[in-house]
Amino acid sequence: MSSAPDAGVVVPRFGTRGKAWLALLGVLIVAGLGAWAYQLQQGLVVTGMDNIFSWGLYIMLFVLFIGLSAGGLIISSAPKFFHSKRYDSLAALGVLLSLGCIVVAGLLILPDLGSPSRVTGFLTSPDPRSPMVWDFGIVLLYGLFNVGYLWLLTRRDLAKMGSRLALGVADTPAGRERDRKRAFWAAAVAMPLAVGLHSVTGWIFATQIGRGDWFNPLVAPMFIMKALVSGLALLLVTSILVDRFTRFRFPRELVPELGKLLGIFVAVHVVYLVAAERLPHAWAAHFEFWSITSAFLVGDTIHFWLWTVIGGVLPIALLAVPSLRRRIKAVFVASVAAIVGILFEGVYLIFTGYHDVNIDAAPGVTTGTGYTGLEADIWATTGSYTPTIVELLIAVGLIAVGALIVTLGLRFVPIQPDDRTPVSAGRDDSTATTAGPVATDGGRRPDGGADGEVTGDA
Amino acid sequence: MTDYGMVIDLERCIGCNACAVSCSQENNVSLDKQWNRILTEGGDAMDTPEGSYPENGRDGTLSMNHLPLACQHCDNAPCVKVCPVNATYKRDDGIVEIDYDKCMGCRYCMSACPYNARVFNFDDPKTLPTDGTGNVEERKQGVVEKCTFCSHRVKEDLDPACTVACPADARIFGDLDDEESTASRYIEKYETEQLLDELETDPNTYYIRGEMSPGRTRSGNELEGTEKKAAGNPNGVATDGGDGQ
Ligand code: SF4
Ligand code: SF4
Repeated sequence: MSSAPDAGVVVPRFGTRGKAWLALLGVLIVAGLGAWAYQLQQGLVVTGMDNIFSWGLYIMLFVLFIGLSAGGLIISSAPKFFHSKRYDSLAALGVLLSLGCIVVAGLLILPDLGSPSRVTGFLTSPDPRSPMVWDFGIVLLYGLFNVGYLWLLTRRDLAKMGSRLALGVADTPAGRERDRKRAFWAAAVAMPLAVGLHSVTGWIFATQIGRGDWFNPLVAPMFIMKALVSGLALLLVTSILVDRFTRFRFPRELVPELGKLLGIFVAVHVVYLVAAERLPHAWAAHFEFWSITSAFLVGDTIHFWLWTVIGGVLPIALLAVPSLRRRIKAVFVASVAAIVGILFEGVYLIFTGYHDVNIDAAPGVTTGTGYTGLEADIWATTGSYTPTIVELLIAVGLIAVGALIVTLGLRFVPIQPDDRTPVSAGRDDSTATTAGPVATDGGRRPDGGADGEVTGDA
Repeated sequence: MTDYGMVIDLERCIGCNACAVSCSQENNVSLDKQWNRILTEGGDAMDTPEGSYPENGRDGTLSMNHLPLACQHCDNAPCVKVCPVNATYKRDDGIVEIDYDKCMGCRYCMSACPYNARVFNFDDPKTLPTDGTGNVEERKQGVVEKCTFCSHRVKEDLDPACTVACPADARIFGDLDDEESTASRYIEKYETEQLLDELETDPNTYYIRGEMSPGRTRSGNELEGTEKKAAGNPNGVATDGGDGQ
C-alpha cells in the first residue's frame, strides 16, 4: 500500500532514550496510582484541603490543563478557517497536544471527589442548572472532538503507511482533497467549542456569589485569554522539544512569528485584562491620584506577583525584542514562564475565593481536619492551604498520563505532513517524502466508496 | 403548602452553645465538625467583647453578641443549583437536604454556600461513644453534610433538637407559609434580618435584632400546628414541657 511505511511518524521506533522516557512515565503513573489508592483508603484528609479551603491543587491544575488544551485548536483551526496552510506542519501535533491536556484535565476531577464511584451521577441524575454539568458535557465533547479531528487530519497518512488506525480509509488524491474541505468545517466547529469550553470552565467560578472575587463577569473572558496564552505557549514548548528529540521538524521561521503572537496574547491578558479588572476597584476605593495608581499597580499576594511578573513582564520582555524572539531559547523560556504565570493565576483565583470567610466571627468554621482528640482546635476564621505530597504525586501521575498519550501519538500517528512542499526546517534530517499524492491536483474522481464518513456529521 | 423556617431571636440568645451541643448529639455529628456554630460578634476570640473597659465612670464601649449559624435553608439556594448530581435538593416543605447516597463529594456546594454551612467528611466520622449518638445514621467518609432542620424529627411532628434545647427560648421553628404560626407572626411583628441578604439567597432563617420577642412558647417538643401538638397538650396548656405525654 505504501512505499514509505513510516511516512510522517516522527518516532519510527523507541530508542534507548525513548524507552527510558516511557519507563519514567510508567514509574510516575504507578506512583500516582499508589498515592491515589492511599488517598481513597484514608480519605481526603491526606490532602491539604479543609472545610474552608475546599478545593486545592487538583482544581487549580484542572483549570490550568483546560487552558493548555487550547493550543492545538488555535494553531490547527484558526489558520484552516482562513484557508491558510502556513501552520499545517503544526496542526496534527497541536491537536494531539490538546487531546493529551483535555484527558489530564478530565482525570484530575476524579481524585478530587470524595466518593469517585458515584461520578456516574453525571449521567444518571444530572442537574442542568449546575455549571459543573455543563463543563462535564463540554469536556467530554471536546475530548471526543479532538480524537475525531486528529484522525481526520492524519487518516490519509495513516492509510499510506498501512496503519490499522486508518480504519479502512484509503489514501487517494480525491480523498485528501475532500478531507481538506472537511477539516475546514471541523475548524468551524472547533472554535465555538473551544470558546464554550473555556467560558464554561470560567463560569464554574464566576457564578459563585459566596467566594469573593469569583463573582466577576470578567472571569470567563479571562479564561479564554489565558487559554490562548498557555495553549500557545505549551505548543511552542512541545514543538521545540519534539523537534529536538524526534524527526519532527519545526519550521524555523515560525518561531519568531508564533513568539510574537504569544507576546501579544500575554500583553492583552496580563496587561490589558488585569488592568481592566483592577482599575475600577482601585478607583472606587481610593481618593488621591497616586493612591489609586498604586492600588491598581501593586498586587497583594505572592501568587499575584508570580503570575504578573513571571507570567507577564518576563515573557513580554523576551518576546518584544525582535532579535531575541528569533532565538529558540528565548522563545522557549518565555513560553515556560507564560505557563508558570498562568498556573499561578489559577492558584491566585482559588486563593482569593477561599482566603476570606464571609461571616468570620470567632471561633469561625470547623475545619473537619486535624482532629487529634477532644482538646484539638478544629476552628479557623480564614482559609489556608498547602498541597501535600500525596496530592503532588497524584497530580504528577496524571500529568504523566497526558505525556504518555502525546508520546504514543508521536510514535503511531503521522503528525508530520509529508505531502507538501518541503518546509524550511531548522535542521536537515530528511524524512521520507516520496510517493505522496499531491493534494493540490484537484482531482475529483467520484471515489466515495473508500470514505466511511460523510461531510454532514461535522 | 408548607415552608419550614426558623426565627432566631438574637436578643434572647445567651451564647450558651446548648443548641450546638444538642445538634451534634442528635445528628451524630463527628467531633471534628459542627453543623450549628455559635459565633461571637465582638472580640477576636470566642466569648470576648470588643471595645474597651470603662475607665472613668460610664465611658466603656464593650459590646458582645452571639450569632448562632447553621444552614439557612435558602429559597434560592446556590448549593442546590450547583450540585451536579442532584444530591442536594430543596424539598417541597422548604428544607434543603442532601441525599448521602448520591453525593459524590465534589464539594462544589461548599464553594457555593456563602455561609460556610456545609462540612465534608475528610475521613471517617469520630464520635463518642464510637458507635455514634442520637437518632441519625452516620455519614460515611467522602460526602458533604449539614443541618437538615432535623427532618427526621419534623417527620415525627417534633421541633428540631436545637429549638427544644435552647434554654433562652431564642429559637422558633415553624411554617412560614402559615400566617398564624409563631414564626410568621414574629417575622411580621419584629425587626428581622436574613444574613447576607444582599446575595439574594433568600434564607428561610430570620434573625431578630433590636426589640426582644417573647420567644418560643414553652409548650412541649411537638411541632406547632400538628395533631401531635394538640394531643400532647389536651388542654392547650403546657405544664411539664411536654415530657410527660
Ligand atoms: S445556607 Fe448554605 S447550605 Fe444552607 S441552603 Fe443556603 S447555601 Fe445551601
Ligand atoms: S459535594 Fe455532594 S452535595 Fe455537594 S455539590 Fe458535590 S455531589 Fe452535590
